[in-house]
Amino acid sequence: MEISLTELKAKIIESLKLQDITPDKIADDAPLFGEGLGLDSIDALELVVMLEKNYGIVIKDIEEGRPAFRSARALADFINARRPAA
Amino acid sequence: MNDIVVLAVSGVTRSDLASAQLGGRFGRLDLISQLALLAVEPLAPHFDSLPRERIGICIAVRAGSLSTDVEYWKDRDATGGPSPMLFTYTLPSSAIGEIAIRHRLTGPNLCFVGSDDIVLSEAADWLRRADVDGCVCVSCDVVTPPAAEVIQETPATTACALFLARGSNGLHALREIDRDMKLLCDKIRSQNPACPK
Repeated sequence: MEISLTELKAKIIESLKLQDITPDKIADDAPLFGEGLGLDSIDALELVVMLEKNYGIVIKDIEEGRPAFRSARALADFINARRPAA
Repeated sequence: MNDIVVLAVSGVTRSDLASAQLGGRFGRLDLISQLALLAVEPLAPHFDSLPRERIGICIAVRAGSLSTDVEYWKDRDATGGPSPMLFTYTLPSSAIGEIAIRHRLTGPNLCFVGSDDIVLSEAADWLRRADVDGCVCVSCDVVTPPAAEVIQETPATTACALFLARGSNGLHALREIDRDMKLLCDKIRSQNPACPK
């Protein structure tokens, strides 16, 4: 089953312990890092752990994950393409 | 110590965290940093009258980062490993960084692991030597129940903070006998009902 953007945004908020933010406040194509959501390098590592914990996706090289972390939509596409079959 | 005065005090417990409004990233901090930041917040208006690079931070964390260490260790076998975010707080002095970042304080800083009874005298020395013009003093007593089991102590989750400066006008003139920070905070707050919680 494909992950929805709303579900993914909720997971991002939960795993990064973001306060005062709801899934609808994260634009689908807005940058997650720097401007946009303003995440940093520690958040990137936390997202890598989140992907393995929740979706069984292991990112061994951060360069491999870089394009996926561009936006919520890019991350959802990455998960849906890489997620192990149930 | 009659040339050093306490300009502001505050004290917080874990129950105060529920109503904390310190921005979207507050939730990522560990308990020690959250309590320390929350305790320092009411002191912040006094920082504006001094150059930020002339304000020091002196902190004592009674049990170091033990509570965070225990939480981190608990997740060591979890899928994907323990939280990288939590790892950054397995350093007893991490609260200093959070205070410095939030209030843009770039003066000297010092962290004691254990008793807070040297914090005020150390800060007073900085002020007397003119190393700083103001000093944020924080005492954190954080021992979560899992950590309390490890060290056979009573759980605690409190923090108190004072802002010291040179001068003669303040809430309290610092004396040699003022060593117990929590006692001093409680005393000043009881004598000054207008002090923040």
